[in-house]
Amino acid sequence: MTKISRRAVLGGGVGLAAAGTLARPYIANAQAKTATVWQNQGFVRAEDEAFKTTVEDYQKASGNRIDLSVMPFMALGQKAVSALTSGDVPDLMFFDAPSYILPQNAWNDKLIDVSDVVEPYKDKMSASALLNSTFYNHATKKRSIYLVPIKQAATPFHYWGDLVEKAGFKATDMGNTWNDVWNFFKPVQTELRKKGAQYRKIYGIGLQITTVGPNDGNNLFSHFMIANGGQDIVTPDGKLHTDDPKVREAAIKAVEFMTGLYKDGFVPPEALSWNDADDNNAYHEKLFVMDFDGTLSPELAWISHEKEYYQEMRVAALPLMNDGKTQMPCQVGAGGGFIPKGAKNVEVAKDFMKYFIQPQVMGANLKSGLGRWFPSTPEIVKNDPWWLDDSKDPHRKPYITEGVLQPTIAQYLGFNPAWGQVNAEQIWGQCHADVIKNGMTPAAAVDKGFKRAEAIFAKVTFD
Amino acid sequence: MSGTQQTVAIGRGYAATRSVSRAWFGGVHGADYVWAIAFALPYAAIFLFFVIYPICFGLWMGSSPALYAELFSDPRYLTTVVNTLLYVVIGVNLKMFLAFMLSGFFIRKRWWNKALLVVFILPWATPALPAYMSIHWFLNGQWGMLNSALYEFFNFDGPVYLNERWTGLGANIGAYVWKTTPFWTVILLAGRMSVPQELYEAASVDGATGLHRFVHVTLPLMANLYLVCTLLDMVFALGDFNSTFFVSGGGPAMSTEVLATLGIRYAFTLAVPNLGVAAVMSALPLLIPLVILLMRKLRMSEGQL
Repeated sequence: MTKISRRAVLGGGVGLAAAGTLARPYIANAQAKTATVWQNQGFVRAEDEAFKTTVEDYQKASGNRIDLSVMPFMALGQKAVSALTSGDVPDLMFFDAPSYILPQNAWNDKLIDVSDVVEPYKDKMSASALLNSTFYNHATKKRSIYLVPIKQAATPFHYWGDLVEKAGFKATDMGNTWNDVWNFFKPVQTELRKKGAQYRKIYGIGLQITTVGPNDGNNLFSHFMIANGGQDIVTPDGKLHTDDPKVREAAIKAVEFMTGLYKDGFVPPEALSWNDADDNNAYHEKLFVMDFDGTLSPELAWISHEKEYYQEMRVAALPLMNDGKTQMPCQVGAGGGFIPKGAKNVEVAKDFMKYFIQPQVMGANLKSGLGRWFPSTPEIVKNDPWWLDDSKDPHRKPYITEGVLQPTIAQYLGFNPAWGQVNAEQIWGQCHADVIKNGMTPAAAVDKGFKRAEAIFAKVTFD
Repeated sequence: MSGTQQTVAIGRGYAATRSVSRAWFGGVHGADYVWAIAFALPYAAIFLFFVIYPICFGLWMGSSPALYAELFSDPRYLTTVVNTLLYVVIGVNLKMFLAFMLSGFFIRKRWWNKALLVVFILPWATPALPAYMSIHWFLNGQWGMLNSALYEFFNFDGPVYLNERWTGLGANIGAYVWKTTPFWTVILLAGRMSVPQELYEAASVDGATGLHRFVHVTLPLMANLYLVCTLLDMVFALGDFNSTFFVSGGGPAMSTEVLATLGIRYAFTLAVPNLGVAAVMSALPLLIPLVILLMRKLRMSEGQL
């Protein structure tokens, strides 16, 4: 056996270290035109295929290389937060719903300003897409664009048309205002329960009156606020307007109506403790008739069930506000690409997003995703009849109508990072629980919720 | 100084040098020492990178006093601390007691006992996420299996378990106990199997029956192992996230949240990881004494069960 001396071991170690050091610049040079991109897995496989096609087309057009990692939605969210915290970041993150990550990180100056990428298309973009991409940076003391918005999503009504008909009603009976739509499903439940033992526990409304969240209950409450004229609870300047009597009145009306539906027995009692998946699962099992949930995911998840998808499931766009006159705007979210500070190849990351934001590229990509997301540039929808063609897909037209043709507003998350904490604490869910379980009046519950929201907002100052 | 004294002094000096040398080199010298270092180096590096570095990074992330001011001002924090204590104290002690009793059952020599043990271990072998999500649905007040069975057999509608704090917390603790009892049962079973049969035989000769043999032989010999397992499981339970997150989701209204889930909520729902780390770090005043006690117990119980 050959005896290895201490000198040989130490020498070998030093040699290896030196080789590693010398080899590094070569690797860096080899990757000079490569951008590392993290993308969240799509809800349907077609979304991932579409993204890969966009990447391949870009590589051919530019000569650059995209090193793509695709990971599940939740995993990317956690990985993105960890990466931004540790500083070990990719060149670009492409995320469907980054609205809970971006405000805090833009505030802390951890993102690259991408105004130059968005600027050429700014005039053509929807105002809500632009607002959803604009965040306050506490280091530069100004708002700027930190997300290249490619896709947007709205929240429509989803209901089982066959159950409505079985109960003896037609969709045209639904009424014109927000509250009318919710009330429509009360007699649907009553009539269905008369139809036999299998409907003993069916509910009319899958109202996400949840105190658990994390997202659905907050989104629902925002829409109730909008319907009752309280959409200015937070304004784009980041200010909270809980002292506005109109806002307070809208919140009281919202809590009163929602808790009324619950207390009258039209909402599954478990809804107080639902997580974001519970309503989807129960909806698919036909345990209630109507759900108000983001995107077309309830339908697209069942696209392989032809009977249900084409004949039984229905989607309805938002009606008029409760004033009976104004079209109710939908609060839409935006997804797209953002570049963390510390990215090694910002140039290629921006170049890729400049390619992606072109209307023909954006449109082709989102069409492949079956219309679950719609473009941030409305003209794409207006110029391509596919988006509103309901001859082959019954769900896309009402969804796109709501998200693109009808008025929209941006999420409050971008206006002030404090709104993220208001949502995370499930303050509105707590308001409902205070009325339902603790016997508070809606006004007292709202005042308690507003007080907590004010305390959270007071910690965030823009100066 | 006489020659003898000089010899003694030199001897002492040599002994002292040797003991220092032993402390540093472990009695290994030359090429052997280099080899020892070469073999130890990868483990030391792994320990540094994957144990020391994350701990230091975590401490650094949660080091700002402002984070703790923010944490303590959160109205949910106190409830979360109480829940964590209840979760750890009730969950662990209930589980260890059950595991101890069950280990006594499984040590009995019956032909079907081994087959039953295999079935009994299944909850522990099942992946945590689907198991806890199944329990979440099992407990659903409207459509869950439990209430459906209650209605089917007794024409009775059960409560909505996850809508109340105490039933929600009970469900989380119950799920944790269900999932991890089999593991500790097997550990305690192994402990029982190590008790020399001669001791039982001697006790029988002295006229000891079942209860007396349990009190005077099994219990004293298993006490250390039981205590060590309990302490170890308390450390595990303090950091347990899965049961609360997937069974009650921390609801209703965050009333069943524990420190681990609150930390994750801060880190990944609010995207403020430093606050999440601070929430978990606030368990250190309980965690550190537990670990010290555990280490002391392990050192004292050398050579015992």
